[in-house]
Amino acid sequence: MTAVAPPVAPPETTTGTFRREDTRLLCGEGEYLGDVQRPDLKHIAILRSPLAHARIREIDVSGALTLPGVIGAFTGAELAAEVGTFNHHLEAIPTLRQLNWSVLAVDKVRFVGEAVAAVVADSRYIAEDALELIEVDYEELPAVSDVEAGLEADAPQLYEDWGDNVFLYIPGPHGDTETAFANADGVLQEKFTHHRIIGLPLDGHGALGEFDAATGRLVLHASTQIPHFLRTVLAEITGLSEAKIRVVAPDMGGGFGNKVHMVREEALVAVLAMRVRHPVVWKQDRTESLTASVHSRQQVHNVEAAYRNDGRILGLRAEIIADVGSPELYVLGAGPAIVTTAIVPNCYDLQDYAFELRCVATNKAPMGAYRGYGQGQAVFLIERVLDLVGEKLGIDPVEMRRINMIPDEQRPYVTATGAVLDCGSFHDQLSDLLEGADYAAACRRRDEARTEGRLVGVGIAQMVEATAPNIHGLAGQFGVYEMAMLAVQPDGKVNVVVGTKSQGQGHETIFAKAAADELGISPDDVTVSDGDTGVLPYGSGTWGSRSVVMGGGAVIKAARQVRDKMVAIAAGLLDAPADQITVSDGFFRLGEAAIPFAQIASAAYLHTFLLPPGMDPGLSVIVGYDSFNTSPFPDERGKMNVAATYATAAAAAVVEVDPATGVVSVGDLTIVHDCGTVMNQVILDGQIHGAVMQAIGQTFLEELHYDENGQPLTTTLLDYAIPTFGDIVEPRIIHRETPSDLIGGYRGAGEGALIVVPAALAAAVHDALVPLGVPITQANLSPPRLRDLLREHSAG
Amino acid sequence: MKPARFEYVAVESVAEATEALADSEDARVLAGGQSLVPLMNLRLARPSLLVDVNGVGALSGFEARNGTLRFGAMCRHRFLETDPAVRRQAPIVAETAGLIGHVGIRNRGTLGGSIAHADPVAELPALLVALGGNVVASSTTGERRVPAAELFAGPFMTSLEPAELLTAVEIPAHGEGDGGAFSEFVLRHGDFATAGVAVILHRDGDGACESVRVAGCGLGPTPMDLSAAGEFLLGESALTDGGADELGRRVAAASDPTGDVHGSGEYRRELAAVLAADAVRRAWGRAGSTGGG
Ligand SMILES: Cc1cc2nc3c(=O)[nH]c(=O)nc-3n(C[C@H](O)[C@H](O)[C@H](O)COP(=O)(O)OP(=O)(O)OC[C@H]3O[C@@H](n4cnc5c(N)ncnc54)[C@H](O)[C@@H]3O)c2cc1C
Repeated sequence: MTAVAPPVAPPETTTGTFRREDTRLLCGEGEYLGDVQRPDLKHIAILRSPLAHARIREIDVSGALTLPGVIGAFTGAELAAEVGTFNHHLEAIPTLRQLNWSVLAVDKVRFVGEAVAAVVADSRYIAEDALELIEVDYEELPAVSDVEAGLEADAPQLYEDWGDNVFLYIPGPHGDTETAFANADGVLQEKFTHHRIIGLPLDGHGALGEFDAATGRLVLHASTQIPHFLRTVLAEITGLSEAKIRVVAPDMGGGFGNKVHMVREEALVAVLAMRVRHPVVWKQDRTESLTASVHSRQQVHNVEAAYRNDGRILGLRAEIIADVGSPELYVLGAGPAIVTTAIVPNCYDLQDYAFELRCVATNKAPMGAYRGYGQGQAVFLIERVLDLVGEKLGIDPVEMRRINMIPDEQRPYVTATGAVLDCGSFHDQLSDLLEGADYAAACRRRDEARTEGRLVGVGIAQMVEATAPNIHGLAGQFGVYEMAMLAVQPDGKVNVVVGTKSQGQGHETIFAKAAADELGISPDDVTVSDGDTGVLPYGSGTWGSRSVVMGGGAVIKAARQVRDKMVAIAAGLLDAPADQITVSDGFFRLGEAAIPFAQIASAAYLHTFLLPPGMDPGLSVIVGYDSFNTSPFPDERGKMNVAATYATAAAAAVVEVDPATGVVSVGDLTIVHDCGTVMNQVILDGQIHGAVMQAIGQTFLEELHYDENGQPLTTTLLDYAIPTFGDIVEPRIIHRETPSDLIGGYRGAGEGALIVVPAALAAAVHDALVPLGVPITQANLSPPRLRDLLREHSAG
Repeated sequence: MKPARFEYVAVESVAEATEALADSEDARVLAGGQSLVPLMNLRLARPSLLVDVNGVGALSGFEARNGTLRFGAMCRHRFLETDPAVRRQAPIVAETAGLIGHVGIRNRGTLGGSIAHADPVAELPALLVALGGNVVASSTTGERRVPAAELFAGPFMTSLEPAELLTAVEIPAHGEGDGGAFSEFVLRHGDFATAGVAVILHRDGDGACESVRVAGCGLGPTPMDLSAAGEFLLGESALTDGGADELGRRVAAASDPTGDVHGSGEYRRELAAVLAADAVRRAWGRAGSTGGG
């Protein structure tokens, strides 16, 4: 790390403070996992399966052990005898297959890239050389690479004792679809597809483990979004108590949901640190991250929508098939697909909605979370249905939405699946969108372009996002709420520790502001930390757009408690009732009298004789904060409110399609976004910009390919195209602020644009192709895929 | 993603390089390293010895001699793209080099490396075929010239011997009435081309097309010579939209692309048609204007 001039104070802007962590991160002074150094650090490399499906007959590591510099070579069978196994701990879901799996594959491999053996050596170079000296005798088995083929009766089975490949089956018969379909004027039948992509952090998963045999303590630095959850799992695998384990999550170049999962290698690092008694490190390389971390999105939807000729959708049936790849992923990789089923009604009044979810195991890398967490697929489904039905009926997309939207006066509105929507007006949000995007003009320009033979399209979409999902009963062995510690130090400066974990979102800036505002001091006097289980007893990490809602709420709650105590001290010193004391600009005030904040702090710690009689010294709290409004389990009708609150957004896109090459250019993108109280608009806009980029990538560039034998074909960034600076689309952003009832009024942000924008882009491309009559029913609109569509259409 | 063990030697002359290559079983030349090093990190290439020729002054530079332009093998893409003399005397080389990757890649990657690497989607090998150029190869037993038509043997394969060093690339000098264009399709700025088409033509004083050469990248297992597709243009003194599209159709029909994650064979064929039509329009215009392109 090179020395850089100390940062100048981050400037205030009219819309918020610039991010205080940026100087450090942008000048190369962040501490990422790769920056954590230890004397005598040893390196782990992992032998991975070259086959998609095979039985492991025998593994011989003796060759690897002969290489100078190799400290140990380990197989799954050997470690399984000594360490615990992973288990989803979701016995509460009776239709979920219960699995136990180990830190390395034991009897069978189920995807190319599955970890089979590990070498510890003086350097990663030597470790990788040693991998080549390990001999594995595999009995290759036929592989399931296509999810629908995996459902066929004669498909190869990943787990012979299952009898099929269905990892999770959930039926969701909500309302009365029988009657709805019986009363319908027409039924739309469609199949929608979502391709396999990956939320790809700049630095992948990785961990550095240190075990002190003398004290029996384990410290694991891990690039994770969920340090406390990881600690629980490490305890289970290693047999150590949680009190002996400290997980530290350093700076991270993104997580995007990928790191809300614990890859088995993180536990392996802990196990090997205990075995070899050296600090050991493993860092995912890019091929490992592309083939053996966490994929996402792949689903097939078979949908039937019953509609009336006036545009009203009366009922909906959806068969949702999710390709979960190898299900041996912790936390549950089927989670996003479950969320898909819950979000389908979106912001529409659709009570008669029945789904059947099948999460199917295939011989591909595990599928799990990626920013948006299954909600984008649901929004795509319902938004496409509205447009396609509208097209049949000659009702325009705006009207279709207005006809079906939940009326403003119904708040809270309980959706078919039990979500308790507390959102602002959908109608006003849509009006803001149409105005902001100048929708009428955009449609006029589209019509003109059409007369010139150009394929220009306009599309809109809306979304409701379940933010801060405080799942309880279905969280297995984890708790989901938030904790924060706040300590005013003797000098009057403040430490805040949160259980969320920033992956680059700017938490240091926002939590400092949240605490400072409550304490009546400057954010500069507040130091924020996160990602250390040694400091805070518990925390649920950062995912589900929850950090501001839950972490922010916890910080405010903690600050209020400390402030109350400080007010009591001030009241004692000023000899006045506490309710007459005000707090501002670093002073506790009573009329003209004012006591500096730092003076109260020193009284609390150093001059405790000044405290009111019987008051304990010190100024620190650890608080837990729950929203208390989510359901621990589904009720007897399968309904469940999972989220503390709901954010909303709407998007309008204008695109032009080049039919010869399949290239879509995005001419204009407008997003209306309501995440409740806006804490810092600079940071919020940054979240939206990033999500838009990922929406562009997901729609036009990214696709993970496997061949029919389950061989991954996108193993480097040469083959997997993520958006770069040349692909930037700058959205026009309009903020609405409808405060929630939670502390601070926050609703949560981060994922919304990635949930809604793909649906708006698909709608716009569909609209552009109206002259050709090519409907869009797939999320993948990359140039070659769009050409496939146009070619198929002109052929047949 | 670490390479297997290898030895390394930095040489200063062509003779040293060819000796080192002759002496060792699996020696490889290290030029810009932009293709070789990633392959080594993936352990798809496992040379026992790297012969680093970056210090061989004789391999750089560019000169015009008797109607031939001679480029040292170590000319960096960025040099080809930006050098005023190259831009003047070989505008199509400058245009094509500018299409390669990003600036950082072009600062390191070399003409010789690109041609020796023989990636079927690389631009410069296709351009060499379109221009009907040749390479100069040296070994401890002497020097020989290999015409482009005989150089590319398959994907990532040339007819050069493992112990041969590619020292120079020669192409015909650009003259009055010459016009060329390279059109390609990339998914993102800086990507390898999914497909690309080079059209090089010459129009006589009256504007009639006297010669036309067409080559493609990403359209077959090697850079493809698709010149036969353009023969119908010979003698024509105007290029109609129909003519350009016709070339596109013929180029598409003559190409032989296979599919990969970047696009199916069919998709590449469709791109070939679009790209050939675009390239011939631009080349035609340039050949007709003085100064050319
Ligand atoms: C991100 C990225 C994007 C890229 N995009 C493009 C692109 O769009 N188009 C494109 O064409 N290329 C692209 N490249 C590849 C780049 O142009 C390479 O530089 C080029 O292909 C090889 O040149 P080099 O000098 O780097 O060769 P090296 O990598 O050093 O060598 C490549 C091979 O050629 C051999 N070799 C090199 N020089 C000689 C010689 N003088 N004699 C005999 N053998 C030799 C080497 O032994 C090796 O086998 C890209 C590379 C990267 C990393």
